Amino acid sequence: MFNNLIISTLQFSLEKYGERNAFCIEGEYYSYARLKKKIAAVRKVLHNVSEENIGLVANDDLDTYASILAVWMEGKCYVPLHPGQPLDRCMDIIAQVEIMTILDSSESTRYRYNNVIKTSTLSDEDKQISPQEQADSSLAYILFTSGSTGRPKGVPISRGNVAAFVDSVEKLGITLKPEDRCLQMFDLTFDLSVQSYLLPLLAGACVYTVSYKEIKYQAVFALLDEYHITAALMVPSVIHSLRPYMEEISIPEMRYSLFCGEALNIDDAKAWYECVPNANVWNMYGPTECTIYCTAYRMRVFCADKQTNGNVCIGKAMPGVKTIVIDDKCIPCTTGVKGELCLAGAQLTQGYWNDEKKNNEAFFVADDGTRYYRTGDICACDALGDIEYYGRKDSQVKVNGYRVELSEIECVARKYYDGKKAVVAVVTDRGSGNTIKMAVEQAEGNNGFELKSFLQSKLPSYMIPREIHFLKKFPQNTNNKIDRKLIKEIIG
Amino acid sequence: MTKEEALEALSSIFAEVLDEKDIELDYQMTANDVDRWDSITNMTIISEIESRFNIKLKLREIIKLKNVGALCDAIVSKSK
Repeated sequence: MFNNLIISTLQFSLEKYGERNAFCIEGEYYSYARLKKKIAAVRKVLHNVSEENIGLVANDDLDTYASILAVWMEGKCYVPLHPGQPLDRCMDIIAQVEIMTILDSSESTRYRYNNVIKTSTLSDEDKQISPQEQADSSLAYILFTSGSTGRPKGVPISRGNVAAFVDSVEKLGITLKPEDRCLQMFDLTFDLSVQSYLLPLLAGACVYTVSYKEIKYQAVFALLDEYHITAALMVPSVIHSLRPYMEEISIPEMRYSLFCGEALNIDDAKAWYECVPNANVWNMYGPTECTIYCTAYRMRVFCADKQTNGNVCIGKAMPGVKTIVIDDKCIPCTTGVKGELCLAGAQLTQGYWNDEKKNNEAFFVADDGTRYYRTGDICACDALGDIEYYGRKDSQVKVNGYRVELSEIECVARKYYDGKKAVVAVVTDRGSGNTIKMAVEQAEGNNGFELKSFLQSKLPSYMIPREIHFLKKFPQNTNNKIDRKLIKEIIG
Repeated sequence: MTKEEALEALSSIFAEVLDEKDIELDYQMTANDVDRWDSITNMTIISEIESRFNIKLKLREIIKLKNVGALCDAIVSKSK
């Protein structure tokens, strides 16, 4: 499926749309012809590499995007390494996957002990070789998400998963054409990036990228405004940030405006309609485990949208995806009753990377033999089968669309104190989005500067608490457990 | 208002919003140089600037402000 649906179609785009632009990166255009030569150059070097899983430094340039396609055409899998995240974290990922070879377009590489292929120094290659055939069960990428045990956990996504996603989006009726100008605002370590570069390239359209270094909502606005983007997948926090400026925004050319990554506020969405009067607006939902997104709700614009607590409904399972809502005893809930949302189908990962324990907790096989993933999201189905999202079962939160386990931050902070201090991370929202704050018990209050530096050396910036508070004694609830709610009230 | 005065006022806004008392800004600094000067704090910083100087910045103007110096220039010209 991947060979036909993805590789052959990409080959077709590279051949047919040679003179059209494939990418616009930092204001510079790169044609499909140029992309094709760059892919061939990376493949030439990669061809001699025997291992399957290849590290990829996730820069924002043509070399990096060409590297992804080269990896796939060589039948291999890419593991993105974020250039802005602590080296410790990236080295942990390298160790977990046992990565030997890393594709890096940076001027100087951070990776001294690996086989580094400096993609920016490779000259364009004219000679084309046919793609390596590879089974759908082999991997396309492995992404690492926040893990509650203090280590990032790997989610391997197969070529079959990606192909199933592409097929499903098309069946929803979302189809791009070569004239489209498409937004790619995501870091390559975030799977929403995959839809944002892949769908346009499959259609011969142009991808307009945002660097991880930029202030996202501003960079997004600049691209929308200057290039009149026609298709955009965004995290809702972007339009939330743009709210005060909506009267400046008018993009009648927008055909598809998709949201995913966190709850979409109904008022933000309504204000956004005015900016994109001709667009189909969709609210998507899905964890990395089920490949990019797997439920979809088409917003109705002219009549009331379904919502719960001000959050837009996440719709129905996409074609090829199965959803059920179950209670604590694993029994399916009836209409309108809240329970945990579980996902199955062709987009579902085969399981976490080398983590049997986590796999046993998170996946189960139902009586009909279907393998389901427990999302940890509390949802309910309405009479028409649309899914309403209520919240999380655990301490996972979203910060700017990034999935964050508060317990991972706590775990790292406890390491700083050699496990001798109690710490609690909470998330608060005063209207400008989720903010992480931390409380530490019985420690020296040196402004938390050293603790903060330690956290910065281990965690990506979006996981760093904005404030650290030192409390003499943590309040306890009636079960003699740390009263997280009360701590949140004290420091929030 | 002079550019220097704008920088001074801006430093106190940054110190407050980013919760870093000793922050030292210079004209060349960008969001890349300042820890935690990100999407969320930037919104707060801009709205603080708008209320303190009683000015209104358009988003088209904000996105052209590539560093602290440009931000100071915008404050000076808008406050006139």
